[in-house]
Amino acid sequence: MIPQLLSLILFSPLVAAGLIWLFGRRNHGIAAGLSLLAAGIAMVAALYLLIVGWNGETVTDVRIEWLTLGNFTLSMGYLLNPVSATMLGVVTFVGFWIHLFSLGYMQGDAGKGRFFGGLSIFMFSMLGIVLADNLWMVFVFWELVGFSSYMLIGHYLTDDAGAASRKAFIVNRVGDLGFLIGIIITYWEFGTTEFVALEAAGVSASTLVGLLLFCGVLGKSAQMPLHVWLPDAMAGPTPISALIHAATMVAAGVFLLARLFFMFSPDALTVILWVGTVTAVCAAIWAFAQRDIKKILAYSTLSQLGYMVAAFGLGTLFGREHGGEGAALYYGIGASMFHLTTHAFFKALLFLGSGSVIHACHHEQDIFRMGGLLKKMPITGLTFLAGVLAISGIPFITAGFFSKDAILYIAMEQNQVVFGLLTFTALLTATYMGRLFFIAFLGKPNSAHAEHAHESSWTMWLPLVVLTVFSLGGGYMVLYPETIRPVLDGYVPHPHGSDHTLFIVISSVAALIGLGGAFLFYGRGASEDRLETKARPLWAFSRSRFFFDEIYGWYVTKVQQRIVDVLDFIDALFIGGLAVRGSAGFVGIFGLLGRSAHTGSLATYVWWFFIGLLLIWGFTSGFLAQIF
Amino acid sequence: MSIELPHYLFVASAVFALGFFGVLLRRNTLVIFMSLELMLSASILALVAFSRYNSTPEAPLYSGNVFVLFIIAIAACEVAVGLAIIVALWRRRQTVDVAEIAEMKN
Repeated sequence: MIPQLLSLILFSPLVAAGLIWLFGRRNHGIAAGLSLLAAGIAMVAALYLLIVGWNGETVTDVRIEWLTLGNFTLSMGYLLNPVSATMLGVVTFVGFWIHLFSLGYMQGDAGKGRFFGGLSIFMFSMLGIVLADNLWMVFVFWELVGFSSYMLIGHYLTDDAGAASRKAFIVNRVGDLGFLIGIIITYWEFGTTEFVALEAAGVSASTLVGLLLFCGVLGKSAQMPLHVWLPDAMAGPTPISALIHAATMVAAGVFLLARLFFMFSPDALTVILWVGTVTAVCAAIWAFAQRDIKKILAYSTLSQLGYMVAAFGLGTLFGREHGGEGAALYYGIGASMFHLTTHAFFKALLFLGSGSVIHACHHEQDIFRMGGLLKKMPITGLTFLAGVLAISGIPFITAGFFSKDAILYIAMEQNQVVFGLLTFTALLTATYMGRLFFIAFLGKPNSAHAEHAHESSWTMWLPLVVLTVFSLGGGYMVLYPETIRPVLDGYVPHPHGSDHTLFIVISSVAALIGLGGAFLFYGRGASEDRLETKARPLWAFSRSRFFFDEIYGWYVTKVQQRIVDVLDFIDALFIGGLAVRGSAGFVGIFGLLGRSAHTGSLATYVWWFFIGLLLIWGFTSGFLAQIF
Repeated sequence: MSIELPHYLFVASAVFALGFFGVLLRRNTLVIFMSLELMLSASILALVAFSRYNSTPEAPLYSGNVFVLFIIAIAACEVAVGLAIIVALWRRRQTVDVAEIAEMKN
C-alpha cells in the first residue's frame, strides 16, 4: 500500500509533464491544469500517507534493477523514514501552493505551457531525491533537478537568463564531480550505497569521503565557495525562485546531509559547520547592497542555507562528542531539518509575496522604486510582514524563532565563536529584511507602477495566506502529522530553564534591534539607499560580494583558458592531427591508388578481371607458391 | 586423319580468343556482347568434347551434354536481359559506344 502511494506521488508529476509535452505546449490551459492536478494529487497522497497511511516505521521497497554491469547493479527503490517523510511533506505541500500561485503569476506568459511542463518535471525529480534509497538513484535525480533548474531559470529566453542558467548548471557540475567521486569511493569501500545498509553496517567513512559527498551539497545548496549561481538564478520566474531556489531544491543538499549523517567524521563535520557559518554571515552582509527585491531574498536564502548546514555540522558533532545517547545523536538532523521546514514556509511566502508585488508593479523589481505597497496591496503586504517577522525570529508568534533558537542553542553548547557569528547573522537578517519591508511597503509610492499597484487575484493571495499560517505557527507541533514529529520535535535541541529565557531574550533583542535599526536608518518608503549615500565604504564592502564572481571570472578567462589553450593545441596536434587525420590520410592513400584503377574504360576492367583470374588460378594451382 | 580431342580444343581456344579480344578491342556494346557469346560458345564446345572423349561404350557419359543444354537455356535468358540493357542504354544515351560511357571513372 505504501509503495503504491509513493509511486503515485512520484509519478503523477512525470505523467503530467509527459502529457504537457504531448498536448500542452500550445494549449496553455491544459498544461496549467495538468500540472496543478499532479501537484494536488501528490500533496493529497503525501498528506494522507503522513497522517493516516503510515505508522512512522522505516519502509524500504520496490527494488528495480535498472542497470546491471558485471557485479554492479544500479537499483531504484524507496526509503521512507521520518526524515524523508518530512521532506516529502514540505516538497508536496509548498509545491502545490506554488503551483497555484503560478497560475496567476504566469497569466498571459507566452511560454506558460513550457513553464508548467518544467515545473512538473522538477516536482518529479525532487520527489525522486526525497524517496531514493541509494546514492546512485539520488545522483540520477540530483542531475534531473539540475536540469529542470537550468530549464526554468532560462524561461524568459533573454541573454541574462541564458547566462544565469548556464552558470547555475556549470557551477553545479563542479560540485557534482566531487559528489560523484564520493559516491564511487563509498561504493568501492562499502560495496553498497543503500542508506539503510550503510547505516546498519555502522560504517566509519573517512574524512575525505565525507567531504567529497559534501561537495554535492556545496553545489546544490549553494554554499561557499560555490554559492555564485544562486543570486543569478533569480533571472527565472518568481514562482521558480520560490519553489526551486528557496524552498526545495537548494534544501536538497541539507536533506542529503540528514540522510547521510552517519557518513561524516568529526573533521568533516567541522569543515561543514564552518562552511555553513561563513556562508551564513557573508551572504547576510551581501544582502545589504542589493536593490532588487528578489536578489535580497536570494542572499537571504544563501544565508539561511548556511544556517542549516552549520546546524547539521554542530548538531551531529554534538551527538558524536557526547556519546550519541538517545536523540542527541540526531540533533544535527533535527536542527537542520526543522529549520529547513520552517524556512521552506517563510521563504516561499516571501518569494511569492515578492512575486505578487512584481506582478502588481509590472515587473518592477527595484525596492527603491516601490514604496507604499502595504496600502495598495494589504493581503500581500501583511503576509509579507509575517514572513519578515518569521525570518527575523520574533519569539513565540513565528516559526523562525523556534528553529533558529534550536540552532543557536546547539551552537552555544558546541562552539562559542560560531554562536557569536550566527547571532550576528540573525541580527543582520532582521536588519536587511526590515530594510526591504520598510522601503518597499511603507511610505509613499516612488514610481508610477507602484502608484497603480493593486491586490492580485485569489490564486495568488490564497497561497500567501496558507503559507503565512505555517510561517507563524510552524513552531507548534500540532500543525504537523504525528509521524514526522520525531524529526521536527524529538531530535531538535531546545534550551530549558534559564537557558530558555536567555534565548528568548537573545532572539528578541537581535530581531528587534535589527528591525528597529532598519526602520530608523532607512526610513519609510525611501527612494534612495541611505547606506550608499551616508556610509559608502560599508556599502562598497557589501557590494563587492568579496569579489567571488571577479575571481572566478579571472580564473576562467586567465588561468583556465591558458590550460585549455595548451590542451587544445595537444588535441589539435596529436589526437586531431596524428590519430584522426593521420589514420584517415593513411587509408586515403590506398583510396587514391584504388581510385586510379577506375578509368571508366570497359577494356581496363576486363584486364583487371583477367589479372584477377590469373591470380586466383595462381593461388589455387600453387603456382604462385612455387615462384615465391 | 581422324578428328581427336586436341582439334576440338584448338577450335574452342581459337573461338575463345576471338571473343576475348573482341571484348577487349571493340567499342560497340552490341559487338562486345556478341564476343561474350562467342566465348561462351567456345567453352561449351570444349565441354561437349571433353564429355565425348571421356565416355566409353561400356560407360557412356552424357553429363557434359546435359550441362551444355542448361547453359544454352540460361544463355538465352542472359541474352534477353543483355539486349534489353543495350536497348535501354540506347534510348537514354543515343550511343552504345563504351568509350563514351565512362561514369565509373575515378
